[in-house]
Amino acid sequence: MTARAPAPHPVITFIVRRLIATVFLLIVVSMITFAIFFLLPRLAGQTTRGLASQYIGRNPTPAAVHAIEQQLGLDAPLPVQYGRFLRGIVLGEHFNAGTSKAYCPPPCFGYSFKNQQPVWPMMVSGLPVTISLAAGAAILWLVGGVAIGVISALRRGTLFDRFSMGVALAGVSLPIFFTGLIALELFSYKWPIFPNVQFVPFTQNPLLWARNLVLPWIVLAFLYAALYARLTRAGMLETMSEDYIRTARAKGLPERTVIFKHGLRAALTPIVTIFGMDIGLLLGGAILTEVTFSLHGLGLFTVEAIQNQDLPEILGVTLLAAFFIVIANLVVDVLYAVVDPRVRR
Amino acid sequence: MRTRKTIGLAAIGAAAALALAACGGSGGSGGSGGGGGTATKASFNAGVTHVVNPSNHKGGTLNFASSSGIPDSADPGNTYYAQMWNLTRLYAMPLMTYASCPGPCGLKVVPDLATGPGVVSNNGLTWTYHIQPNVHFEDGTLVTSQDVKYAVERTFDRSKFPLGPGYYPSLLAPQNATCAKAMAAGKTTGCYPGPYVDRSKNLMGLNAVQTPNSTTVVFHLAKPFADFNYVTAIPQSAPVPPNKDTGANYQLHPISTGPYMFQSYQINKQLTMVPNPHWNPATDPNAKQLPSKIVLTFNVNPNDVDNRLLAGDIQVDLPGTGVQAAARTKILTSNSLKAQSDNPVSGFEWFMTLNNKVPPMNNIHCRMAVEYAANKTNNQTAYGGPYAGGTIGSTAAPPNVVGQKHFDLYEATTKSQGDLTKAKQQLQACGHPNGFSTGITYRSDRPKEVSVAQAMQAALARVGIKLTLHGFPTASYTSNFAGVPNYVHSHDLGITVYGWAPDWPDGYGEFYYIADGAAISPVGNTNLGELNDPLVNSLLGKFATENSATVRNSYTSQIDMQIMKDAAFLPIVYAKALLYRPSNLTNVYVQPFYGMYNYAVLGLK
Amino acid sequence: MPDTLLDVADLRIHFPTSDGLVKAVDGISFSLERGQTLGIVGESGSGKSVTSLGIMGLHHGTNAQITGHIKLDGEELVGATPGRVRELRGSKMAMIFQDPLSSLHPYYTIGAQIAEAYLVHNQVGKKVAHKHAIDLLGRVGIPQPASRADDYPHQFSGGMRQRAMIAMALSCDPELLIADEPTTALDVTVQAQILDLIWDLQQEYHSAVIIITHDLGVVAELSDDILVMYAGRMAEYGSAEDTFDQPGHPYTWGLLASMPRIDEARLERLVPIKGTPPSLINVPSGCAFHPRCRYAGFTGGRSQTEVPELREVSPGHLAACHLTGDQRRKFRTELVLEETEASTARMTQGEA
Repeated sequence: MTARAPAPHPVITFIVRRLIATVFLLIVVSMITFAIFFLLPRLAGQTTRGLASQYIGRNPTPAAVHAIEQQLGLDAPLPVQYGRFLRGIVLGEHFNAGTSKAYCPPPCFGYSFKNQQPVWPMMVSGLPVTISLAAGAAILWLVGGVAIGVISALRRGTLFDRFSMGVALAGVSLPIFFTGLIALELFSYKWPIFPNVQFVPFTQNPLLWARNLVLPWIVLAFLYAALYARLTRAGMLETMSEDYIRTARAKGLPERTVIFKHGLRAALTPIVTIFGMDIGLLLGGAILTEVTFSLHGLGLFTVEAIQNQDLPEILGVTLLAAFFIVIANLVVDVLYAVVDPRVRR
Repeated sequence: MRTRKTIGLAAIGAAAALALAACGGSGGSGGSGGGGGTATKASFNAGVTHVVNPSNHKGGTLNFASSSGIPDSADPGNTYYAQMWNLTRLYAMPLMTYASCPGPCGLKVVPDLATGPGVVSNNGLTWTYHIQPNVHFEDGTLVTSQDVKYAVERTFDRSKFPLGPGYYPSLLAPQNATCAKAMAAGKTTGCYPGPYVDRSKNLMGLNAVQTPNSTTVVFHLAKPFADFNYVTAIPQSAPVPPNKDTGANYQLHPISTGPYMFQSYQINKQLTMVPNPHWNPATDPNAKQLPSKIVLTFNVNPNDVDNRLLAGDIQVDLPGTGVQAAARTKILTSNSLKAQSDNPVSGFEWFMTLNNKVPPMNNIHCRMAVEYAANKTNNQTAYGGPYAGGTIGSTAAPPNVVGQKHFDLYEATTKSQGDLTKAKQQLQACGHPNGFSTGITYRSDRPKEVSVAQAMQAALARVGIKLTLHGFPTASYTSNFAGVPNYVHSHDLGITVYGWAPDWPDGYGEFYYIADGAAISPVGNTNLGELNDPLVNSLLGKFATENSATVRNSYTSQIDMQIMKDAAFLPIVYAKALLYRPSNLTNVYVQPFYGMYNYAVLGLK
Repeated sequence: MPDTLLDVADLRIHFPTSDGLVKAVDGISFSLERGQTLGIVGESGSGKSVTSLGIMGLHHGTNAQITGHIKLDGEELVGATPGRVRELRGSKMAMIFQDPLSSLHPYYTIGAQIAEAYLVHNQVGKKVAHKHAIDLLGRVGIPQPASRADDYPHQFSGGMRQRAMIAMALSCDPELLIADEPTTALDVTVQAQILDLIWDLQQEYHSAVIIITHDLGVVAELSDDILVMYAGRMAEYGSAEDTFDQPGHPYTWGLLASMPRIDEARLERLVPIKGTPPSLINVPSGCAFHPRCRYAGFTGGRSQTEVPELREVSPGHLAACHLTGDQRRKFRTELVLEETEASTARMTQGEA
């Protein structure tokens, strides 16, 4: 028998394989974003000249439009522009600021058409806000939603169940910009419990950080908590009628153990999947919350990028969002294997 | 033009008093509308004619907020927005500026960095400015004429500074014979490329601007341009020290010559300014240094901006376009809140152009039929009514352009629902007694323009004119659709919804781009009605050499009248905004050229 | 003297629903001694599972109304505190369920699930409990129990899962073991192994066993007594010999006819009872079985009106039927002849 190197742990090969696929996926996403930005308007009759004239003041001369076309690189064929973009991410990019050449180290997502500033640092500076918002809200909605769902399921048909499910229905159907404005109106202006909401970095003052984020957390979490409460309730109801719950009871386990160790554990599995996906897709909710509460995170950055038709910014934020979604998917898959032994091979 | 307030430059002209009368009286205690600095107690529209809460009290943090970021750039050389031209006066001193006073006084251009208005040579080709000898940058360096020349040079680099106006490259004498030839062909070969490409002569390579000594700047023009003092009142003439210029990054920290300087600036997030220790009030009578800190917060939810304004958390809404619908209701229904608000003319006029080339609209009678048939009240409602929309317009220029006179050829104000009898008569004369079909273009992402297009569709249907709706995105409106005459002709788009505010408040600034035959261009056209009236063209041409204010004013009203006689414009409203001034704000008044509060002089109680 | 472990008397388990009162169990009485096996037989819906869950106290938390008596080793369980019943559950009485795959928690290892039952009733550490679980797995015939204890249910075969279930039930040496359809989900060869296992373990532990099944064949060899249930009521109750040799109720005859015979080909084993089990909300009047009973016409209408009482058809052998002893003997003889003929006919055809 020949000695063989020990095979890498299957989870590690799985993760590596997925990461490689992620790179390809991100390339495809960037190509699609590129195509949507350039090709679709072109089908509708837009010209490079027209695009360039959006980044220029009123009544531009043709020479000025041409200058900006060159500056933004719009005069090159699309594949070349795309190639430049990819090269910037891998190798970085040199930008002519006029008085000097600035170097934008990798991953360089290019320079904003409008602000003429590198996209990456602008994007990264919004991350702490969005992550603070997302993390707090996620914990809140997960704990709150699951707790309400469990209680509702165990007290099915009671006043609590009906009330919380009614509120949950409202939560699922009410848009953030509505609940957000109501929350602001009530708790920031009428009764100024949380006045003048603005982001304070956690490192600067954790207390103020939390205090300022309470309203956004609640508003963002409300939407999801409602969904999770309904999901948990349905999951618990289903799980608690499973045969293995009867087995657990037949063993003489205390009801608490039956509910939490046997019932909730199984009911949580689909929640974990959805939670992972929701975290990845959270940018959508973050956009609305950040706009409502004027928090300068990735969400507002996205809105700004789209309003300005700023391709490098749009590409940057699209890729970052895609990256988060893919990573969240990966984490969900790994987590799923941890949670549910049946998935393991 | 991109966003609603893109180039919101306006001036309340001589007719400011008239506009006031139209919106319900000023309520000011003093009778003096001019002069400047007449103080008054807080009442509705008091800030339009008077300084509210005059005070020299120092201290406090002045908070601005905006529902967007800085619309283009904080670099005085790269901005084309009224709010920024207003704001830059806090940190930049151009050669000329608009007088810091309410009412008609405020639309005069007065020297700022310069010691007096530019002196023009007899042939009209040379303008000479002397600058104050004792103005310093924030780092203590003395400002020289070379810093002004360098600032002008920067504007030639359109790839670094595409967002500001392009007057210097087009007005100044060509760098050399090659450039002169190229310019005639609409190119820039051989022309001065800006100081980043041309590093010659110690960065002083632009031939058309000379600095014979450290306090004199001489501009050599290609052709006479009597409006040049208006051009140097654009922030682009504010000095930039060549050794401190950081090109595209200068916007992050422009070197201040005004009362405040940048402390920190995160694009789209926050800008903090602190007093400039090297600023001398004696050299800058147009600005004050009262608050101990100025903070601008960007991207605040529009409704939240209003709430913070009403709650006193912020003092100024930077764009100056007025409060949202919710706050508007709150303010107008409360006597005390209303007394703390102003409803000035913003400087914009919203109008429709009736195309001179698209049949059957090429027949003047068909255009007149549209003029009569339109329901002006419904059009006004589409724009938000009398407070948020504005006053129904009947002239091509808004009342705040110097020289504008009121007239009403098509009964816009007397029969504002439309005159169907006259409309039908005109249709008869046009040869389409039963009406015709044409298209209307508008910006589909602007609800007001969508509404007005629908209102027009309903109004014109009353006389058998069938209007088809063609909405396009703002971003590509003039670059790809309404501003491309070929597209307009091939799609039979007879009516175009548009708006305009002049770069400076006279007939030339108002009309050149939107009514001169020479301004018609195949792409990015702004003369959307393709008006090419010889009288209008020749009058606009005469502005260049005419220095007499009386004569210039008569040109303005003549052009206005001629455009309306041609039925080339269908005015909608002279735009207005409802502004709120918190009670703790001092020295508040509407700077008439910007159509918003004068940001250079605000203080706190 | 008889060593009675379980004494059930006049047990009634009713469920109020919006459609009416469901009398899932309606007056059941039996007793069971240590070392003895009782087979409870009936179609689905006859109340046999409800009965066993009632004994285990697993109706707690539902809206079940339970009356009568369940005495386990002299202790009354009807009306006992849920906490007390929980203590007994898993220790003094244990249960094996029908479908071992769905009855085992998919997310925990077999070993952990067995140990859990031991841990909750004994003051021991996790290691001891785990070792105990491995011992039990070995005892129920799982090869390499130490490594298989770390497997999850989905990694076990059907028979092994049921062995694991049995191990779990046995973890605290229960005196009463209820096996609810323990072999239904398994294939035939494994069925026999599992039944053998239960038999062996019963001998070893000397516990009382209740086997619940719809298949008389399952209990034929194992049971000392047989209780046949129909529509929540007792149809027949007696020793296994009596019940098989002289079944006293036409329903039991039907069950016997549907029993697989060793001497016949498998395909031909089923002679199902005509008709469907009654709804428990609208139990037929009189004898609940009368709509399906081909002899109901011989009782002078009593079948339709009068609920038959349990009567001794032979000493210690009870049946609830209106037929007289003579009628019963006559009809039973005819039926057996009929079946033999039919069976012979089928065999002849098969040869031709």
